[in-house]
Amino acid sequence: MSPLALTVLAPLAAAVTIPLLRRGAPGLAVGGAALGLIASVWLLAGVAGGETPALVLPGLPGMPLRLAAEPLTALLAVVVATVGSLVLVYAVGYMRREPGRVRFFALMSLFLAAMQTLVLAGDWVLLLGAWEIIGLCSYLLIGFWFQRPEAATAAGRAFLYTRSADLGLYVAVFLLIATAGSSEIAASLDAGGGTTLAAGLLLLLAAMGKSAQTPLQDWLMRAMAGPTPVSALLHSATLVAAGAILLIRTAPMLPPGALLAVGLVGGVTTVVTGLIALAEGDLKRLLAASTASQYGLMLLAVGAGVPLAALLHLIAHAAIKSALFLGAGTFQHARGDTAFECLRGAGRARPWTFLGFTLAALALAGIPPLSGFFSKDAVIAAALAAPGAAWLAPLALAGTLLTGAYMARALHLLWRGAGEDRPVTGARWMGAGLAGLVAIAVALGAAFGAIGDLLATPVPKGTWAMLLGLAAALGGLALGWLVPVRRLLGPLYRRAQHGLVIAGGLTAWIGRPTMAIARGCERLERGLHTTVLGVGHLALAIARRVRSGDERRIDGLIFTLVAGVRDLGAQARTLQSGLIHRELALSAAGAAALLVVLLAMLLRF
Amino acid sequence: MLAQAFFVAVFGLAAIGFGVAVFRTSSMVRSALALLFSQTAIGAMFLAMQTEFLGVLQIMMMATEMSIMAIFMVMFMMDPGGLGGMDMTHQKRFSLGAGAGAAGVAIAVALLADWGPVTATAPDAGQQTRALGIELLGRSMLIFETAGVTILTAMIAATAVAIPVHKPAPGHNDQETPE
Amino acid sequence: MTPVLILALLTGAVLFGVGVYGALSQTNLVMIMMGVELILAGALVNLVAFWRFLHPEVYAGQMFVLVVMTVMAVEMAVGFGVAIARFRVKGSVEMEEAGDLKG
Repeated sequence: MSPLALTVLAPLAAAVTIPLLRRGAPGLAVGGAALGLIASVWLLAGVAGGETPALVLPGLPGMPLRLAAEPLTALLAVVVATVGSLVLVYAVGYMRREPGRVRFFALMSLFLAAMQTLVLAGDWVLLLGAWEIIGLCSYLLIGFWFQRPEAATAAGRAFLYTRSADLGLYVAVFLLIATAGSSEIAASLDAGGGTTLAAGLLLLLAAMGKSAQTPLQDWLMRAMAGPTPVSALLHSATLVAAGAILLIRTAPMLPPGALLAVGLVGGVTTVVTGLIALAEGDLKRLLAASTASQYGLMLLAVGAGVPLAALLHLIAHAAIKSALFLGAGTFQHARGDTAFECLRGAGRARPWTFLGFTLAALALAGIPPLSGFFSKDAVIAAALAAPGAAWLAPLALAGTLLTGAYMARALHLLWRGAGEDRPVTGARWMGAGLAGLVAIAVALGAAFGAIGDLLATPVPKGTWAMLLGLAAALGGLALGWLVPVRRLLGPLYRRAQHGLVIAGGLTAWIGRPTMAIARGCERLERGLHTTVLGVGHLALAIARRVRSGDERRIDGLIFTLVAGVRDLGAQARTLQSGLIHRELALSAAGAAALLVVLLAMLLRF
Repeated sequence: MLAQAFFVAVFGLAAIGFGVAVFRTSSMVRSALALLFSQTAIGAMFLAMQTEFLGVLQIMMMATEMSIMAIFMVMFMMDPGGLGGMDMTHQKRFSLGAGAGAAGVAIAVALLADWGPVTATAPDAGQQTRALGIELLGRSMLIFETAGVTILTAMIAATAVAIPVHKPAPGHNDQETPE
Repeated sequence: MTPVLILALLTGAVLFGVGVYGALSQTNLVMIMMGVELILAGALVNLVAFWRFLHPEVYAGQMFVLVVMTVMAVEMAVGFGVAIARFRVKGSVEMEEAGDLKG
């Protein structure tokens, strides 16, 4: 079996086996993920050695499904497999007391398989299918505790947001296939033509949905109602990355206009969600907003024309944010909640977890020599060198500043204060997952040069970029640690707490009209329903009337006939009195009648 | 011819008169006698119509029959002498109508029908009797024998009906339990 | 057209009518039989008249008279048999009371 297929099939097999066996779910899931990791590393090694493995599966007529590994996709597959395996290791501990573990691990494995398919997909159809499955898994995992109303609502909300944006992907894919005449992604990248601007913007829309870019960022914060491993795997490293991955893969074909749009959307998002993160009162929601912000930076990098910078940041962020989430999950288990009021002093109580969390936070903020420094450096350098540097560079720097600020604030809140701490079950598994991810987050920076070589693209660098980025990061950290957030944000604070909604936000602008339309449709539908029912009832009534009429007429006829015969019989019975003279009289009358008949016949003829 | 007409008319009237008398008297014995006379008058009519054999036969048969009938009358009637003056009729109006109607129809047919030429002379008695005998034992033998067998059957049947049943029906419990 | 034939036929017709009246009106079985006797007597008169005045050469006419006389005798015999049986059982031959044949 080729490593290409195994990368996808190992977690898929786990996803199928777990609900069938219903026991040993964690082991199966971790095993599947680990096998997938081994396969993906093997694949990456093969690709690095110059191979281009590809797998053509039967699919739509004329559009076979393809799995293809390029350096970029193989690298991403390794990232997904690594993060997935470590998060699953963590989840073994995190979900130890959970009754729905079978469902959880099956879904996580299915998600991993779908994500690997998405990453390795060589054609648009397979990519679409994988895209849908990860959306479904996301919905099911966010709503994992579907008994809680907020989890159910959050799941529905996430599904609706991403589904609406997915329309962009569908239309874009149709456009691309129609233009290139083939469903191969590689063919579309080479095709070019007039439709690329439209397709690029539509792809941007899809990426905005999946990567929670402004103004579609709201669902990601609410998605934190799901289990923390889900947040770590789906909502930081993989599912949300799908949007960025899509844009990174299609970056070569995007025209300058589309690139600028991508960059601006990313830039605005990084600032807006950064502000939201700064004002958040809940650790997981802060991390979610930060995720959206970091993906904004990646989009900015793509928009700046350097997808490699985006890729580096994506990889670094995947490790860092997963580590952060796993730390947050540990704190959550320790305190029973993720709101900062409950988490005060949680870091001091668990120094090892806090150490990992701090390292990851500093990495995210961009402190050398942690991995985030290098990737952010690349992004800022790309922004400075881009055609729209006047727009993009300030946004990138602002995003970096805000990153430092909110991470410092989170650390500050976790370190200061005191609270009731309680023992955490499965801490060893959780610690193992966290440690692995933190190690990667710390050390990954060293591998960036090798990645640049692998993709045959130089990693953007620059003295100014380094200085500016470092200054922004340090400034942000200092601000976040020293200045209370209220003072820092001023009048923006209250609005940022509510997700920086403008005039009611999406709820007012889209949600309510949509609901009104839906209600109108529902009323129309109900009217139609009643009308149809009424018609049916009317027809039934007519049929019943007709039937009763039939019965009364036909049966009545028969019954009348029967009754008549019976009456006749009864009357004939009275004729048979048994009295001789009566009988005689009757026979005389009969004879007379016969005579009359005879006479009549005689007169006639 | 005239004499014949006269006798036929006289005996016919007599037969009708005695026939009516049958149903007009309350006494059963008188009824039987009246019927006897009526039948005898009919026999006399036969004689007047030069049908000697049948006439004599009629008188003899009916005399016997009616005497038997008179005996039965006396036997069965609760009031053979008609002394009680009890009305022994019913549905009188319908019966009258039916009788009158029947008579009317028959009279109308008798008067209105075209009977064709009438044979004035008849064979003499001896010839008649001989011819009837030949007829009986020749062409109409089957009918004659059938009539004979019928009479025999009727005699046996009447006797069987009339004989009192002494034995209980088979299967019936002989030793009836006293009630 | 001889008046004798007409006379005889009229006699037969009236006898027939009287017999019908008797048979229908009487309550006594024996009296009903008398009515029937009179009906048959009327028929006899007609038969004899027909033979004598219309077809004296066809002796089937006289034969017919004999058959009718047979019928009269049979009727008498069976009638009296029934009457005796009935009288034994019911003590009466009044037909008003006889509803045994009621359907």
